[in-house]
Amino acid sequence: MSALAGAIPSATHGSTDQDDVLHEKPRRPPRRTGRALVVGGLLLLICWALLSPVLWTAMTVTKPTRLAFVNPPQFFYEPTFESFVNLWQTTSFYSYLVNTIVVAVISTVFALLIGVPAAYALSRFPSWISTVLLVAALIFRALPRFAVVLPMYDISRALHIYDTTIAISAALVAINQPFSIWLLRNFFAEIPEQLDEAAMLDGCSRWQALRKVMIPLMGPGILTAGIFMFLFAFQEYLTALVLTNVNAPTVPVFIATQLGQTLPMLQQAGAASMLLTLPVIAFAFIAQRYLVAGLSSGSVKG
Amino acid sequence: MRRREFAMFAGPSILVMSGLLLLPLYRTVQWSLQKVDYGSPGEFVGLDNYRQAFSNSRLADAAVFTVTLTLLVTAVLLVAGYVLAVLVNGLGRAKPYVLGLLLVPYVIPHIVGASMFLWLFNSNYGGVVTYVIEKLTGVEILWMTDTWANRILLAMNITWAMLPFAMLIIVAGLQGVPDEILEAAKMDGASLIRTHLSVIVPSIRGVLGFVALISIMDVVRVFDPLVALSPSAVQIGNESIMLYIYNVAFRDGGQNLGLGSAINVLLIILIVILLFPFIRGVAKEAKTR
Repeated sequence: MSALAGAIPSATHGSTDQDDVLHEKPRRPPRRTGRALVVGGLLLLICWALLSPVLWTAMTVTKPTRLAFVNPPQFFYEPTFESFVNLWQTTSFYSYLVNTIVVAVISTVFALLIGVPAAYALSRFPSWISTVLLVAALIFRALPRFAVVLPMYDISRALHIYDTTIAISAALVAINQPFSIWLLRNFFAEIPEQLDEAAMLDGCSRWQALRKVMIPLMGPGILTAGIFMFLFAFQEYLTALVLTNVNAPTVPVFIATQLGQTLPMLQQAGAASMLLTLPVIAFAFIAQRYLVAGLSSGSVKG
Repeated sequence: MRRREFAMFAGPSILVMSGLLLLPLYRTVQWSLQKVDYGSPGEFVGLDNYRQAFSNSRLADAAVFTVTLTLLVTAVLLVAGYVLAVLVNGLGRAKPYVLGLLLVPYVIPHIVGASMFLWLFNSNYGGVVTYVIEKLTGVEILWMTDTWANRILLAMNITWAMLPFAMLIIVAGLQGVPDEILEAAKMDGASLIRTHLSVIVPSIRGVLGFVALISIMDVVRVFDPLVALSPSAVQIGNESIMLYIYNVAFRDGGQNLGLGSAINVLLIILIVILLFPFIRGVAKEAKTR
């Protein structure tokens, strides 16, 4: 664990020292408390502002339908879960949710399965090919979705996989591949090459060196890349919009189609948003620790 | 690493990217030179689609709108992301919880976040923000139909969705600032602002560059927020290039995939121009390794 484990404790140590600089005079406790209060209050305000769309939606969906979207807005009401019941009974929300999760999991797993060895190869092969691939990955990451997704529509029709979760997953593996190899390659580049060379001197093959030495060291890096892949797949709207019809829409597609409809349907969209949001809020709390640890171990310096 | 090993390790990834990115891209370029009706093979028309794209000002308008929005949002993200990261980084035990809370807008799908903004702002849906502003100032802001109000709403929504990412990356970058240079700055009696501007910011230049890169990439291709927040984008002059492609290829009665593909190609050229400094940086960096 030396390379990465070394980076993380020193990072926490660094932050306490920085704390001192940001608060400038650590030896004057009263002033420091005053400043901490101001900073705390400010952050509380920022958090409240950033979360207000979510909080307001939570209120909207727990109102009785006739009050949900009236102007002037209602602040006091009898909370009800009617819209959730409606959502569950009148739409196929459950299957959209399953589609979303299936797509996110499959595409994350495959993106890592092919991305990890490729990123490792890119970090250990000093040749013009690596340079070309990295630049290509950068441009591919920036491609407009339509430029690849519209032709994919044709391809998926020809392969008879149109409107399946497989089609979306495959599309997302490809679309997210540039970002994942780019991120992972920077993680691998942080690990000294002597380590895998030593493993190979001890009789490991390249594969074994990757599997037994590199991947265990890469824990935080692979986790970080995995979290990003999962999020991207989970959020994707356009790809799912173009590649699905009735069988495989994901929740974002469902919510978008509800938007221009009647008020009860709008409220259902809100309920769907909340059901989708609550688990990812939990996810954010768990993920932030790994993301900060993973990202600060040197992946984004390049 | 030997060439054969490289091919074996990177092969699957290269294969997937060629098959599912490069090949579709080739198809788009091909379509951009054709007159395409859905369901039948296209007919070669040379540069007609490109000529048509430049024949009126719609593309130029969309490009100006999109690029201005991109530069504005990127600047806001860098400054606000930095300030927020510094505030969060100075926290003690509360840090993970605050980080978790602040990350929430980033993990919500963009289309969902945009519809949440719709309910918060649009007075047709009892938008509370508009209501409060009206109560306080007496002005009713028409977020959906007034060009500038709508632009501000879009910019706010995109910034809201991306700010947590900018902050997270910068927080991660701040962990890597060496203690020695902070000590040195303190010894020299540098002021708080001076320490930030001439010591910390330069030492996390790479991280800030990364934030700018991702922001430029993503805002130039903005589409999802407009679907929810700007239903009359075309009429009020807030059409992004991606929305233009969508309108041309699917709506507007035309269903003109050839023209849509030509605009796609032009958008890719625009993106490569905007990203040129980064591309050069990556090429240089990769060579020195």
